[in-house]
Amino acid sequence: MGSERMTGDWATAMQKAQSELLRQWTEMGSAWAKAGAVPPATAQAAAAPAPGVAAGADDIARNFLRQCEQYLGVSRSLWDLLGRASSSSDAEQRARLFTDGLGGLQQQFAGLWAATPFGAPGIAGANAFAPGAALGMPSFGMPGATMPGFAMPALGPTRESQESLQHLGQLGMRCAQAQFQVSGQWNDIIGKALRELGERIAPRLKSGAPPASMKEVYDLWVDSAETVYAQAARGAAFVQAQAELTNSVSQLRSAQRELIEEWTRQFDLPTRAELNSIHQQLRELKAALHK
Amino acid sequence: MSTPLDELSELQGKMAHSLQALQAAATVSFGCSEKDAVYREDKLTLYRYRPLAPSANLPPLLIVYALVNRPYMMDLQPDRSLIRRLLELGLDIYLIDWGYPDGADRYVDLNDYINGYLHRCLSVVLREQQLAAATLLGVCQGGTFSLCYTALHPERVRNLITMVTPVDFQTPDNLLSRWVQGIDIEALVAAHGVVPGDVLNAAYVSLMPFRLLQQKYVELLGSGESQAQVDNFMRMEKWIFDSPDQAGAAFREFSNWFYKENRLLKGTLEIGGQQVDLRRITQPVLNIYGKQDHLVPPAASTAMQNLLGSSDYLALGMDVGHIGMYVSGRAQRELPQAIVSWLQRR
Repeated sequence: MGSERMTGDWATAMQKAQSELLRQWTEMGSAWAKAGAVPPATAQAAAAPAPGVAAGADDIARNFLRQCEQYLGVSRSLWDLLGRASSSSDAEQRARLFTDGLGGLQQQFAGLWAATPFGAPGIAGANAFAPGAALGMPSFGMPGATMPGFAMPALGPTRESQESLQHLGQLGMRCAQAQFQVSGQWNDIIGKALRELGERIAPRLKSGAPPASMKEVYDLWVDSAETVYAQAARGAAFVQAQAELTNSVSQLRSAQRELIEEWTRQFDLPTRAELNSIHQQLRELKAALHK
Repeated sequence: MSTPLDELSELQGKMAHSLQALQAAATVSFGCSEKDAVYREDKLTLYRYRPLAPSANLPPLLIVYALVNRPYMMDLQPDRSLIRRLLELGLDIYLIDWGYPDGADRYVDLNDYINGYLHRCLSVVLREQQLAAATLLGVCQGGTFSLCYTALHPERVRNLITMVTPVDFQTPDNLLSRWVQGIDIEALVAAHGVVPGDVLNAAYVSLMPFRLLQQKYVELLGSGESQAQVDNFMRMEKWIFDSPDQAGAAFREFSNWFYKENRLLKGTLEIGGQQVDLRRITQPVLNIYGKQDHLVPPAASTAMQNLLGSSDYLALGMDVGHIGMYVSGRAQRELPQAIVSWLQRR
């Protein structure tokens, strides 16, 4: 790696250039938004849909922009570290500086991954069968979960309602715990992936042939992460954590619907249960006709 | 050797280009070959494609696609269309488009799909063609349906072609299957009624999240692709995420019976009260699978051979992945001719 790339204030210059690039993206996105085409990535990030909700070009472009931003974040951090490590003249120390430095990226990388609507632990990408959060459905921080004494027996004329809310609160707690477990799994994966990356790059630093571009470092990172993930995702702990999150979200969602239906019935409005009953009757009629 | 600033500057240029190309790609169209609707029922439509060449005098081909994605992947664009290549080789092609199930379809089950919709679509084909049997081409989950159908109604299927079709749902390399084992499918279906396609998409991209949720966009960003290539990317992107919701009852049965209990492999599957015995499939079978397929690993598909009653079985492994089977250059070049040649020999 050329020393001219690793010395001086190139990092500052690069940061400036990145900021300029991000500014341009945002401006471009804003212009598209005004034209009714593509909302800006930054402004829309909070309201961004889940993966698979990409109903059209808007979503795709928004996701695309977000991935690009993340790419720059990941690449820059790795490149900075590579630059610091490469500045040493001692081969062993170069490798050690790099692998030691990777440990410091754990939190940042976990955060970067979680910043996308896909990768966030507890959200669809990481928990394929737990789409609730990604679809904006159940909130684990719902009132019932934090209601004092929600484990107390329900009493009085409103005991049925109290009990429903308590049940909802318990399910919310269960979801939160499951989410915590999945987050832990993801932290482990990111940590192992960083170590894997270190093992791949350290020998090259020792031999004086480090990756030649940010893109190459990034690709090595993705390869490392996928390798580690492929193994972890087959592990009993990951499978169990993901299943528990999915199952708890399913239960919570059903409980929420029951509660909503209870309120709906009080206003004599049609409910899902009523519709289901009609669908079943129609199905039976249709089956009889086909016979 | 470039400097980081050079790289960033280059990236900036490509990025601007890619974004403009993406914006222009927002209106890309899907599906390219002309077809006519010949039958409709509930959400499904049966299409017949218009010929593009003189008839090869082969039995008509009914394509049975999966429920989980849209069938236009088989006819994405003129230079990426398995259907178009087959039409050019003189085949008469029908295709079942299952449509988009909604809340009214929550109780539609596998018996409805296989002994109901598929059966009636094939009846339309046979009536139009005045034939007693046709060739089925089942794709992915549609291949599994076709296997079940052929086992249940062997007299109506002359040849069976399966593409990227799982039979053994519990091979060790099947990550999706491993995840499904711990999922409470009853609770999932109870919570949704009709299971959102997004749930399935999330599962698929979670198989390789770093690549499928990030790297592929980065590749597009940094490649400075031509407008045509970005259009291709958009078509693929559209197809990948254009996933119909799944009728709850059918989803529950498919997940439990196939993924969790592996009934098709074990010979314990029943559809509509009838046992699905694959030994009843004695007609010629061409099984096409992807050697790089991570959704339906090769072993999941080739397990079929030992279960069939047919002595005329050919496994054709293509060096492509699941999606590459529909759109890769290799598949476009080799697959249509392989199918037609196989049919001509029977």
